[in-house]
Amino acid sequence: MNDRIIFDNVSKFYGDVLGVNRVNLSIPPGITSLVGPNGSGKTTLMNLMTGLIRPSRGNIRILDLTPDQPEQLFRLVGYSTQYDSFPKGLTGYQCVSSYLRLYGFDRDRSEALTWAAIDRVGLREAAHRKAAGYSKGMRQRIRLAQSLAHNPRVLVLDEPLNGLDPLVRAETIALFRTLAKEGCHVILSSHVLHEVDIISDQVILMSAGYVAAEGNIQSVRSEIEDHPMQILIRCDRPGELASRFFAEDHVVEVRLHKDRHGLLVKTQAPDRFYLLMNRIALDGFAVESVAPCDDDVNSVYEYLIGTEEATR
Amino acid sequence: MSLVWAQIRAIIRIEMKKTFFAKRGLWIYMLALAPVALFFAHSMIEIHEHGARRQMVLKSARPLTERDFLSISQGMSRADVIARLGEPPLSRSHSRRIRTGRNSYSRVEFETLRYSDGNNDLVLTLQDGTVHGIGRVSGVSLGQDSYVFAGVFQFFFVRLAIFFGCLGIFMNLFRGEMLDKSLHFYLLTPVRREVLMLGKYLAGLLAATVIFSTSTALQLIALLLDFDASTISQYLDQNHGLAQMAAYLGVTVLACIGYGSIFLAAGLLFRNPIVPAAAVLIWEAANPVLPALLKKFSVIYYLKSLCPVEISLDPGMPPLFALLASNPEPISRYIAIFGLLALSVLVLFAASKKVRRLEI
Repeated sequence: MNDRIIFDNVSKFYGDVLGVNRVNLSIPPGITSLVGPNGSGKTTLMNLMTGLIRPSRGNIRILDLTPDQPEQLFRLVGYSTQYDSFPKGLTGYQCVSSYLRLYGFDRDRSEALTWAAIDRVGLREAAHRKAAGYSKGMRQRIRLAQSLAHNPRVLVLDEPLNGLDPLVRAETIALFRTLAKEGCHVILSSHVLHEVDIISDQVILMSAGYVAAEGNIQSVRSEIEDHPMQILIRCDRPGELASRFFAEDHVVEVRLHKDRHGLLVKTQAPDRFYLLMNRIALDGFAVESVAPCDDDVNSVYEYLIGTEEATR
Repeated sequence: MSLVWAQIRAIIRIEMKKTFFAKRGLWIYMLALAPVALFFAHSMIEIHEHGARRQMVLKSARPLTERDFLSISQGMSRADVIARLGEPPLSRSHSRRIRTGRNSYSRVEFETLRYSDGNNDLVLTLQDGTVHGIGRVSGVSLGQDSYVFAGVFQFFFVRLAIFFGCLGIFMNLFRGEMLDKSLHFYLLTPVRREVLMLGKYLAGLLAATVIFSTSTALQLIALLLDFDASTISQYLDQNHGLAQMAAYLGVTVLACIGYGSIFLAAGLLFRNPIVPAAAVLIWEAANPVLPALLKKFSVIYYLKSLCPVEISLDPGMPPLFALLASNPEPISRYIAIFGLLALSVLVLFAASKKVRRLEI
């Protein structure tokens, strides 16, 4: 069996609107990141891969299966979308176990797989709470648990680190690495270039529906490092947190957010910044979320792919 | 096959919770229970009236019959009436000043006498001691009530309550979930799209059948509530009452099957439920005037022939009701059942083609 995910000259148009165009990819096992600004075609590519939408042109093969065979495809593939697609009124545990019952697993097998998945994402204590009452990060994790519960060979994850606090983010990244070592395809999307740098074995850079670049992440790393990254931190004591950042030499700018419940931090060393965030979380700051700001990221994209677009 | 069945059961389990306990579905319960409330209120009023009638019989000087009532005519004196019917169990009198000339008035004595034979009341209006008006108040009979039931069942329950109830339940099975993105939950599992559709349809059908069959059963119970045991027993055993009840329940289930399949398919085709609802409502209403072939593509065409009590077309009936009630080409029960099931399967087959190509 072919162990690759292959896009053969794939295009998708929504009427006159371009989704993706002339995509040719051959994705090996490991962690592959789809990176690009909003609207660049990352989610379209993932939806094409999982059969939620059909290509207008071209062919897709996932380990020798086509996406229009869900009954076989989803034995091998797990997809965590951006959306909370849980039926209403279910607990986190029920979300995963009822999903597994759709695979035809009996009650005992479903229960065992459900707990294994919930443990992998560290949600055991909250498993019997209603999923609708979960925080953004918890919902992200239960979606992840759902997508990996049946032990798929291909895990497709749309913005999986969005909304996670620093500690959980680090644990989740470790989980992706473990899965990749086990021979799994982990395909994730992100508009955060720095995340890609940390996680990926290979990167696919998307821009306006086209694959702008693909390959090893090392090739773009140095360019990313030269560009300061702006990050929004939501927390309970932004003033105190600001003073911690001022002491760091890689932080070039700290601004209090307009609503006074967050900080905008510009750093030239995202690695060191995320390590610092882990320490800060351990020091008792209630950090609700850490998210890079789009505007800044988009400017990095322009910087990275401007030449590519100009030559097309 | 066992996998498909396990998947269908899993889908039904998830869908049942959503369908039965959805806050947005509360109006469906109200729609289903409205005729129950109507018949229950009617029965309560009739029980009260019946009690009052019984009291009048007890207070009467002697038992009265229909023949006694017919012996009374206008112009009779009060004494004649008393002689024939005895002292009235209920009477009321009042006087009124009536103008007789430019400046002259006279006082007129009015009296109302009320008699009952236990089923019907005779109301006599006397003016200055002479019978001036004769009125009859008939108690309800099960025959009349079952006719009214047939009207409410056909005009309101099937055409509106089940119709819109199925619209609310079945259109949301796909369209509602596409809008709130929860359809991903199913589409990202190894369930064949056709199996998913069938599972959802069965879940919706189960919910609709439970809600509306319960309503039909409660309506029938409420209908019989004001009749005594012997009348009910006679209706059930000798007047095809049981067969009628079974037919009403059967029509309810078949209506859910038919409208369910149509609205499930409509949910895959239309974003806005108003468009298919209006189109199907008009199509169903216009069924009697459609060409013979097109008639067969309508749910009501089959249901009308299965309703146990036919609504007769009175000359005074409003044209719309006359159109809705008319059934120019009744078909046999077996053809109606088979035809409706075949229509539903056809619609579901078309929906399965659509769901196979569904993109979200």
